Amino acid sequence: MVTDLGGWGVLIAVVGGAIRVSTPYLYVSLGETLTEKSGRVNLGLEGTLVMGAMSAYAVAYLTGSPWLGVLVAGCAGAGLGLLHAAVCNLPRVNDVAVGIALFLLGTGLAFSLGKPFIQPVAPRLPSVALGAWSAYPQIRAALEINALFVAGVVLAALMRWALAHTRWGLIVRTVGDNEDAARALGRSVDLVRTLSTAVGGFLAGLGGSFLSLYYPGTWNEALSSGQGLMAIALVIFARWNPVRCFWVSLLFGGATALGPALQSVGFTSNYYLYGAAPYVLTLVLLVWSSSPTRVLAGAPSELSISR
Amino acid sequence: MASWKSWAETATISAAALLATLALFGGFVALRGLRPLDVYAALFTGAFGSWFAIEETLTQSAPLMLTALCTALPARAGLLVIGGEGALVVGGLATVLAGVLLVDAPAPLAVIAMGAAGALAGGAWIGAAGALRHRRGVNETISTLLLNYIAIAVMNHLVTGPIRDYAQVLKPASWSIAEGFRIGDIPGTGIHWGLAVGVAAALLAYGLMRHTTFGFAVDILGGNVRAARMAGLPIGRMILTTCFMGGAAAGLAGTIEVAAVHGFASSSLAVGYGYTGILAAFLARQHPLAVAVVAILLGGISASGGLLQRRFGLPDAATLVLRGLLFVAVLAASTLYGRGRVFRRAA
Amino acid sequence: MSAPPRVEIVSMTKRFGDLLALDDVSLRLEPGTVHAILGENGAGKSTLVKCVMGYHRPDAGRVVVDGRAQAITSPRRAHQLGFGMVYQHFTLVPSMTGAENLVLGAAGLPAIIDWDAERATIERFQRRMPFQIDLDRPVSALAAGEKQKLELLKQLFLGRRILVLDEPTTVLTPDEADQILGVLGEMARENLLTVVIITHKLREVLAFAREVTVLRGGRRVGGGRAQDLDRDSLVRMMIGTADIPEPAARDVGPPGSVALGIEALRVVGDTGITAVRDVTLEVRAREIVGVAGVSGNGQRELVEVLAGQRQPESGVIRAGGARYRPTRGAMRRHKVFVVMEEPLRNTCVPGMSVAENLAFRNFDEPRNTVGGVLLSRRAIRRQALERIDRYRIRTEGPDARLETLSGGNVQRTVLARELSEDPAVLIAQNPCAGLDWAATTEIRSRIVTARNAGAGVLLLSEDLDELLELADRIMVMLEGRLVYETPRETADAHIIGRYMASHA
Repeated sequence: MVTDLGGWGVLIAVVGGAIRVSTPYLYVSLGETLTEKSGRVNLGLEGTLVMGAMSAYAVAYLTGSPWLGVLVAGCAGAGLGLLHAAVCNLPRVNDVAVGIALFLLGTGLAFSLGKPFIQPVAPRLPSVALGAWSAYPQIRAALEINALFVAGVVLAALMRWALAHTRWGLIVRTVGDNEDAARALGRSVDLVRTLSTAVGGFLAGLGGSFLSLYYPGTWNEALSSGQGLMAIALVIFARWNPVRCFWVSLLFGGATALGPALQSVGFTSNYYLYGAAPYVLTLVLLVWSSSPTRVLAGAPSELSISR
Repeated sequence: MASWKSWAETATISAAALLATLALFGGFVALRGLRPLDVYAALFTGAFGSWFAIEETLTQSAPLMLTALCTALPARAGLLVIGGEGALVVGGLATVLAGVLLVDAPAPLAVIAMGAAGALAGGAWIGAAGALRHRRGVNETISTLLLNYIAIAVMNHLVTGPIRDYAQVLKPASWSIAEGFRIGDIPGTGIHWGLAVGVAAALLAYGLMRHTTFGFAVDILGGNVRAARMAGLPIGRMILTTCFMGGAAAGLAGTIEVAAVHGFASSSLAVGYGYTGILAAFLARQHPLAVAVVAILLGGISASGGLLQRRFGLPDAATLVLRGLLFVAVLAASTLYGRGRVFRRAA
Repeated sequence: MSAPPRVEIVSMTKRFGDLLALDDVSLRLEPGTVHAILGENGAGKSTLVKCVMGYHRPDAGRVVVDGRAQAITSPRRAHQLGFGMVYQHFTLVPSMTGAENLVLGAAGLPAIIDWDAERATIERFQRRMPFQIDLDRPVSALAAGEKQKLELLKQLFLGRRILVLDEPTTVLTPDEADQILGVLGEMARENLLTVVIITHKLREVLAFAREVTVLRGGRRVGGGRAQDLDRDSLVRMMIGTADIPEPAARDVGPPGSVALGIEALRVVGDTGITAVRDVTLEVRAREIVGVAGVSGNGQRELVEVLAGQRQPESGVIRAGGARYRPTRGAMRRHKVFVVMEEPLRNTCVPGMSVAENLAFRNFDEPRNTVGGVLLSRRAIRRQALERIDRYRIRTEGPDARLETLSGGNVQRTVLARELSEDPAVLIAQNPCAGLDWAATTEIRSRIVTARNAGAGVLLLSEDLDELLELADRIMVMLEGRLVYETPRETADAHIIGRYMASHA
């Protein structure tokens, strides 16, 4: 029986959407936070996200195990991250340009290798029904939580702690804030950045697997449009703080879910304009958090886009 | 400033990048059970193997020359703009609106108006990003990339709603411009006049950037913004101008897509000319004349896509992989500049 | 703490491509001494030390520690042997606190850091130290002098016994320099440390060092006990000829009308903190006004505003009596010119040619254009050839890229550009930083010549000797304010130094 909750329905759908849709944003932004803390910017994560989605779907379909798909997606992401790092480690290579190149390459690889997997249906990732107590299907739908979301939340807190309380965290921050200091300590700047970018790519790949194996739960070429990019703007807005990345991801998730939520209650026109909402939100936030004269507070000093 | 040695260096390193790319792409197709040499041959045949192929190559290269300028011009001022895709779309939309509004005007006037509309719309789109960069310090790479997505969303909204021509059944499309306003082919060829526009734009950009005081000032800005400030150069104006010019070029590409190719606006405007243009700009090292040559090369790759699909079953995403590999190779190869002793001046 | 080891550096040789940076250099570091390595910029001092610290692999030579030859293949190995280095450019992490920076370098740092235990260790350590720093503030909030002290604390905390200091006093006031070098000298005398100071300042060598080694052109050209050597012999060893080039003579005579006026200028820095507070000063024609001060007290922001690289919050600038805003037209009209330190970073485009860099001020003037819009590269080249000749810029040719020139020649290029058009106002900021003796003398000479010819010169410098030599009036800038002024005749370095001291 469908109960019409009216306005509350929209709100519940947005909250549920925020939780669901935020997960890829969360993973990509956490991965990019780590990469940028080490002083490098990886704009190619959009391509990594798509590649992760495709490989997760393909592996899940071929092996029947969605979790194996998730793992492979992470590895694919790490691979692209390693490629990004390898090229950027060469002297005088512009890491922003490399990111764009990998965005194109990753997307191209995903589309061309993924053609055979558009029609078939792969097994989905399971979820936990935290809303089983409710009589309203809307609330039940909103509170279906996936394990990856929970893992993401834990990861955010863990990353925040690790950056301040582990030797590795201090070293990553050093490399990103003062290369000379890192070298004086005998650390290899290139190695630290390579590892950070690879882990960042791994996380972005995981985020992609969520897209194809949970929500929306299919594979096709329109799966992601700019979510990887928005996650990078999100990192700036969150001031490179992993826990803040989580909250901002929820915000972005809600904005992205706004369109479909409004559609479900009858606002069917202006579909595409609602679809533009997250990009506009990102742009507005970016404008708001930037300043022509002040250096962005909290920006790792070696980061090319903050100088 | 550019001696034959530096041209030779550029040519050698670019050739090295090209060869490395072909090798990697060969590996990619080998994984699908194809023989790389067969694919290379098809790439060449599909691009330059017949007069028809050459026509297709040049047709594909026309918009690329323009969208490449959208990256190359601001790059000389030190900005990394990747909004060619969005500017093209916005230019295309403006062209349709101009063409439809002026339906009763004489054809030459309408064509000029459509071109102006496309250029102005594209110029304003990227110019806005330039303004955000100068006045608010917003990173132009991220903002123009976001603007791409916003432009596509706006376009989708318009062609499925307010300006939709319901008589078009194949896919949602806008109203068409009058037949008489369509840009025709260069006499004796199957190539539309858009190619001439592209070449003219590249020549104009070259003259402006390399031979005027404005271009010199932009070189200083792109070389060291602190030095440009110390010299009292009007930084904001230069950023806005280069962004506007780049956006106008990409907007013109949109005009050509509407007026010469399709006759209306639809999602066929957003097929990646903008992104390939970025690659062209980098391959040409942001030099306006080289951009025209590189655009022809990349146009060839696009043109041969059909042949690759028909003969080998390679999806057209494969040419996207080829372009991605080329981009990565070009960027990696950029580290080789200044290393080759043979290219260094005599001590 | 045990005594520092005996160290001998034997026949150190290092080549970079065609350049022989170090040629068979040997010296001995007695434990518990302060040893100065003296030499011009480019003499090989940094290279020598970097070989010892494991940054470079020498082509020949060895380091002997307590009688045993050691292969120092990495900085970590050098650290294990007890070598520590304090660099000119800080190796502190700006976003971290002092405490985090201290802990960062510790050898046995565990994977997970127990901050409570670390804090306790740091506190015990601080109590034994002769100077204190607030370790809970982020490094980005510390002044340059405090950063220097923190760097030293870090080395001592990490148990380094042989401390190498690379030009340690450039960011300190004379009093701070005396304090720190004095403390280090004490620790050396108590046989806790061996201190190696790399410097080009004779005064420090003679005041603090017990032993000196002089390098020139990569070779050891002299040295010995500091008490046996005098100023002149050291200078002779350093620059290789007894003739020190004569500086330009100053025109004696009253200054003219006000060329540059600054009224109540307020400037905010990159981090949002006010860097320049209500600065008011006047520079007249035919005078050099010197502004002394340790770096980080607002001088950079002040120059950036005058040069058009930064916007002020409030205040008025006047050139030749009229309100002045640094636009290109105004610069040309009022003949305001600028020379800054690190020209490749601040006032030039390294990738453009010498001829192009020489044309930054006038490439758009009618004589260098065709029809006012098109560039005339021929005219620009002609101008370049003339300026290269007149200012003796050593370059392969006008089309050589500026970055291929040596530091001194880059600055000569800048001077050629800025002084060729009869400046009315010249703003110079640390113009000779990092340059060799010959270039330094020549550049200072040209500044005096410009002054004699009628320019009003505002010279901001971190080198007090430079100001005492050139300026007609000396002011001190501290924490964004002008706090002292003295005419040339009655200038006293100690008094000036006291006003330069920051409240640590």
